[in-house]
Amino acid sequence: MSSQVRNEILSKIKSAQRNDPLPRPQLPFLSERALDREQMLERFTAELTSQTGTVYRAKDRKDAERVLSEIAAAEGFKQVIAVGKNLQGIDIKSFGNSNGITVRTLADLKDREALRKAAFAADAGITSADFAIAETGTLGIIFSKDQPRLASIAPPVHIAIVSIEKLYPVYEDAVKQVFGNVNEIPSQFAFITGPSATADIQAISFKGMHGPTKVIVIFIMGQ
Amino acid sequence: MKVSLFIPCTVDLMMPEIGVAVYRILSHLDTRPVYHSGQTCCGQPLYNAGYRDQAKRAARHFIKVFGDDEYIVSPSGSCVSTVKQHYAELLADEPSWCDRARNISKRMYELSQFIVDVLGITDVGASFEGKVTYHESCHIFRALGISEQPRKLIASVRGAELVELGNATACCGFGGEFSTGFPEISEAMVKAKAVNFINTGADVLLLNEPGCLLNISGYLHRNHPQKRSMHLATFLAENTREFSHA
Amino acid sequence: MHNRVDKFKETARAEMKNELSQAFLLMLSLGAPIMRQIGMSSFPDPAAAEAYGRAIRTESIERLPELLEEFKKNAQAKGAKVIWARDSAEAKASVLDIAKKRGINYITKGKSMVTEEIGLNEHLISNGVDVFETDLGEVITQMLSRAPFHIVGPALNVPPEEISAVFLKRGVIKQPTVNPVELGKAVREYMREKFRYLDMGIVGVNMAVAETGTIINVENEGNIRMNKSSPRTLVAIMSIEKVVPTMADALHMVRILSRNCTGQKLTGYVSMDTGPKKSDEMDGPEELFIIIVDNGRSEIYRDIKVREILKCIRCGACLNACPIYAKIGGYPYGFSYSGPMGQILNPMLLGIEHTSDLFRACTLCGACKKICPAGIDHPSIILEYRARQIKDRKHQTLSARFENNLATCSSLAMSSSMLWNLAVKTVRPLFNSLAEDGYIRDMPFGAKGWFSCRNLRAMPDKTFHEIWKKLNLPNPDDVRKKETL
Ligand code: SF4
Repeated sequence: MSSQVRNEILSKIKSAQRNDPLPRPQLPFLSERALDREQMLERFTAELTSQTGTVYRAKDRKDAERVLSEIAAAEGFKQVIAVGKNLQGIDIKSFGNSNGITVRTLADLKDREALRKAAFAADAGITSADFAIAETGTLGIIFSKDQPRLASIAPPVHIAIVSIEKLYPVYEDAVKQVFGNVNEIPSQFAFITGPSATADIQAISFKGMHGPTKVIVIFIMGQ
Repeated sequence: MKVSLFIPCTVDLMMPEIGVAVYRILSHLDTRPVYHSGQTCCGQPLYNAGYRDQAKRAARHFIKVFGDDEYIVSPSGSCVSTVKQHYAELLADEPSWCDRARNISKRMYELSQFIVDVLGITDVGASFEGKVTYHESCHIFRALGISEQPRKLIASVRGAELVELGNATACCGFGGEFSTGFPEISEAMVKAKAVNFINTGADVLLLNEPGCLLNISGYLHRNHPQKRSMHLATFLAENTREFSHA
Repeated sequence: MHNRVDKFKETARAEMKNELSQAFLLMLSLGAPIMRQIGMSSFPDPAAAEAYGRAIRTESIERLPELLEEFKKNAQAKGAKVIWARDSAEAKASVLDIAKKRGINYITKGKSMVTEEIGLNEHLISNGVDVFETDLGEVITQMLSRAPFHIVGPALNVPPEEISAVFLKRGVIKQPTVNPVELGKAVREYMREKFRYLDMGIVGVNMAVAETGTIINVENEGNIRMNKSSPRTLVAIMSIEKVVPTMADALHMVRILSRNCTGQKLTGYVSMDTGPKKSDEMDGPEELFIIIVDNGRSEIYRDIKVREILKCIRCGACLNACPIYAKIGGYPYGFSYSGPMGQILNPMLLGIEHTSDLFRACTLCGACKKICPAGIDHPSIILEYRARQIKDRKHQTLSARFENNLATCSSLAMSSSMLWNLAVKTVRPLFNSLAEDGYIRDMPFGAKGWFSCRNLRAMPDKTFHEIWKKLNLPNPDDVRKKETL
């Protein structure tokens, strides 16, 4: 049935007159490609900050745990969900214990229901990010068994822990890696730039529409 | 230099003084304006309304009348645009006419464009004590990409101060049949134009599109009779003393 | 769908008196182009970026047949179930079938123009499947059953009092409030419950990438990501023209779309889905259906003069640029698509004979064409519709026949200066008899609309023709006039 419909639609457009499109003009140049790491970091920070996001630079894993604890105290987190491949080595359970926060990791979640329950109840979602893109202060996340989708969209605060090695100038740098091998394309890849937002009522804009109200990025600068 | 005048129907019938002004300016600038009295209308109103067969008849007549004139100059951007940008498509199914249309399109000039780009003149010798402002008519500004040229001509008028019109590139709401078919929307648009004009405090609103002028001056006459709008050609001609009266 | 294109003029009149609509239209028409400008100028070479985007859309449409096949093949290879629908009925039936087979009670939806076009919500609801729009503006228009005011801000002009009232009625809020942020946050809470237990979501598609079989959505609110994350079943609905060749092209178009839509360099979320979730993933859809809807597009495609309509990326920039839209807003267009975008698309979807006001309500100012990132020449398409309408109807009614004859008469006069001048001499006294102090202020016939706000100068005693003749200037080159007479 559907293949018949498909053939009908396709043959209609196939039998139409063809015009050869003109050759493409030159690919526009992206000035961000010239940025060095420090410039990228500055650009990323400026862009994300303009979206009310916050950027921290942690010296190492230990320092990141300290930053996390400070954030947790300031925000008054009671329960968080933490996902992502080893979170750059951060000991997330001990972070929870020492701050009196219930931390749920993938090990605690047996199925979709458990995940949904945890993600919608959490005060924050702590995730890793596979890319940070200087161009617009954007996170690039590959969703996988280690990185479920809801952790970065359901909780009101999203904290992403990113190795500085993952900071790139433009989107293309991420997309080439993610989509380069046809057999390894993830089910979802997303760019996230700041908190969710709207201005649909009276053009009054605010953050935290359906997704997070706050986005915090912690760069780990060394090992 | 021989310059062939195309005086659009709106000017011919309603505002012949614009045609006279064009003639005076061009003669003053040492060109030799000629006028084929066989000319009528480029067919734009028919074309825009969708009467293509009828518009074709007007187009063929236009092409015949203007033959191989080297410079065809008109004080209307929309007429120039019709000939230059639409004739060839209109006559697409009549190859020999289509070729002639393509050919004539290269020889069409809007007045200010002709003076500045072809003659290389920006100062026609006019002087005017007061403030003026300029409306960027849609077909002149967007279809033909002409804006610098009229502005240069205005800027060279001694004593005249050019003040910027708010939202200068917004359509004035004429649109031929649109103005009568959708009078309330058209009114809202021309009103906005008038308000922006009044807010500039300028003495006169200048433009170089007869259709817009009919609309704007008609609105001003009804609602703000003390405010003046003028075709750029009329303005330049009226304020250049050396012109011999035609 | 609120299919009221036949009420263009009266809706326009009402909207011109609606102060709130007028306030937002002023804001949109002045502010949005500036935001867009700022966005575009963040490109090192904005003109080159625009040209490249236009080239991508042109190529995507010219190569549509093979790109669609490539997309389908790759999406299926990744496990997506691709369903084709000739028209709205087939598309709606497919979605309903998917929902019914899975025992779905309710669906949440991300914003999607094509589902509005086909009237999907009404169909599902009347067949017992509840549908919740989740984009804040769409939540409001759905609850008020109102057409979108603007493609990006569908409820921008709705007074908070009205939103508060309908939210109270629907249980979104307990206490009335006119605070936009409180109203928005109430929808957040209301929808979280729906997302939390969701079994089936529906989203539109901004781009479908042929090379990888990927569907891309851009958004700011996070509702689309919720729809793509929480439920087991996801349906993505796209019309056939959404396809682009490569991921690189998609990235460029995402940059272009964001800037033209809201002036942002990038929308808050860009989600790129290739197939359903992998078996070891905990969330994301177990089943991903991609419904590819034709609904008139293949006809548009075959119609070479208007094919370029399909290049549209639904950014809304032309609405903000259009001086007519700026006065009347989205309601008069009476369909999902308003502004210049609707003026070119709706006549093909609804029929030229039913949409006359849409392609007549245009001054051909060209602002839409100038701003359009897809490179569409709206005025030419509008002129084409006018010509088709005249051609189709010229023999139909008495008045159409009369108008056609009138046009023929004027064209005859235009092709002979003798007739032309004769006509002038005949009309002038009649015309001028209406004048007082050199101006006409009203007319009992013909162009009455002109005189609602304008005067018209009486015709001067002499036409330019006559002035010229009297001048008797030496004009030795003017010999052709004899030939043409
Ligand atoms: S027609 Fe052009 S400007 Fe208008 S919505 Fe479509 S792409 Fe955007």
